[in-house]
Amino acid sequence: MVGAGRTFGRFYPAVSLLHELDPRAKILATAIFILGIFLVGSIPGLLEVAAALAVLVVASRVPPGVFLRTLRPVAIIVILTALFQILFSREGVTLFEWGILQVHEGGLSMGFFLALRILLLVLAAGLLTATTSPVALADGVEDLLSPLKRFRFPAHEVAMMTTIALRFIPTLQEEAQKIMNAQAARGASFAEGGLIRRAQAFRPVLVPLTVGAFRRADELAEAMESRGYRGGEGRTRYRELRFQVRDALALAVAALVIALGALL
Amino acid sequence: MSEFRDVRVLTEAALAIALAFVLGLIKFFKMPEGGSISLEMIPLILLALRQGWRIGMVAGAAYGILDLILDPYILNPVQVLFDYPLPFAAMGLAGLFRPSARGAVLGCIVAVAGRFICHFISGVAFFASYAPKGWNPYVYSAAYNAAYLVPSLVIALVVVVALLKALEGARPSRRQREQARPAS
Repeated sequence: MVGAGRTFGRFYPAVSLLHELDPRAKILATAIFILGIFLVGSIPGLLEVAAALAVLVVASRVPPGVFLRTLRPVAIIVILTALFQILFSREGVTLFEWGILQVHEGGLSMGFFLALRILLLVLAAGLLTATTSPVALADGVEDLLSPLKRFRFPAHEVAMMTTIALRFIPTLQEEAQKIMNAQAARGASFAEGGLIRRAQAFRPVLVPLTVGAFRRADELAEAMESRGYRGGEGRTRYRELRFQVRDALALAVAALVIALGALL
Repeated sequence: MSEFRDVRVLTEAALAIALAFVLGLIKFFKMPEGGSISLEMIPLILLALRQGWRIGMVAGAAYGILDLILDPYILNPVQVLFDYPLPFAAMGLAGLFRPSARGAVLGCIVAVAGRFICHFISGVAFFASYAPKGWNPYVYSAAYNAAYLVPSLVIALVVVVALLKALEGARPSRRQREQARPAS
């Protein structure tokens, strides 16, 4: 259930070079890693990428446990993928046979290869979100999407909505918890009965929560208008993003790691 | 986009996104490989019904990006697009219908169908790169995604009409004032 004051997202504040890099550089570097991992076609290549990511994990000064937690939800996918390959692939030398169970060399290496690939993909995305605050990410996404403005894609509006939403998630979380507690005190139960019964039990929570959220939106609009907000044109930021030499270097290193992995 | 010139529309979309995220944390049931039976779609559908499909789709895409920023699971580059921005942009399809009881029901069904198609494509793409040869990715992906989207649709149908009515009473949008009743 919703815990009041529970943190959301995966940002882990710390002082490190990775935290200080330009969010646009980090988003692009992550994109290079994620697309690049699919170009790496061998186990030694993936191990090289894994070693590079391990160095980055250490450099980020984020406790490794934080990353292990992000890997947990994909554990089932990793295990199932590896198991399917190991049990059902019929390529290469037979290593083990017992009744209908057959383990072939090809299946074993393919299972390991795919499991490693999934873990590296999740780890690459985890590095980005652990070292970059959600607001910085939203700013970075806005800048990277702004060329699409030419095709009338509302990049500024999307980023603005995301930033406002980030600000109000904790507020609404608290409100949801309060309303649910108030209903529970009146004897409401949210965990009983079938799907429709439970959905109906949520109706007295959803109505005040939704009306309250939309009322807040009106108040916020008034506050923004009275301060002269007029859309993205010519709007400045409190914290300007600056792309520096070290950001370009980070991109070059990411490309190099992938190129080396693809060759191995 | 000219629709967003009205700051009120922008903030309403932002709060709908925040509410969708908060409701997404209340899970009725969580699937092992992502996706869960939850209420997260409801605010986005309401927004689309109140402000039209264009704003609904942009806000949905923004919700997808927010979800990606906060909790990314990237298994395949194609899957990112079809699991984050696109399925929630599909929530905007509800805005093709009138903000009436009948329109809300039809809107929910069409929006969830759109989301299903996106996750279905993503599932096939995922399976194509990870499953052993000879497995049928289409059946698996359809079954997997229907398993949580159909119950989520049922929940949305149970509450969405009441919520739309409540909002019409408290804060009617322009679209609601003009189109809530069928023109006679």
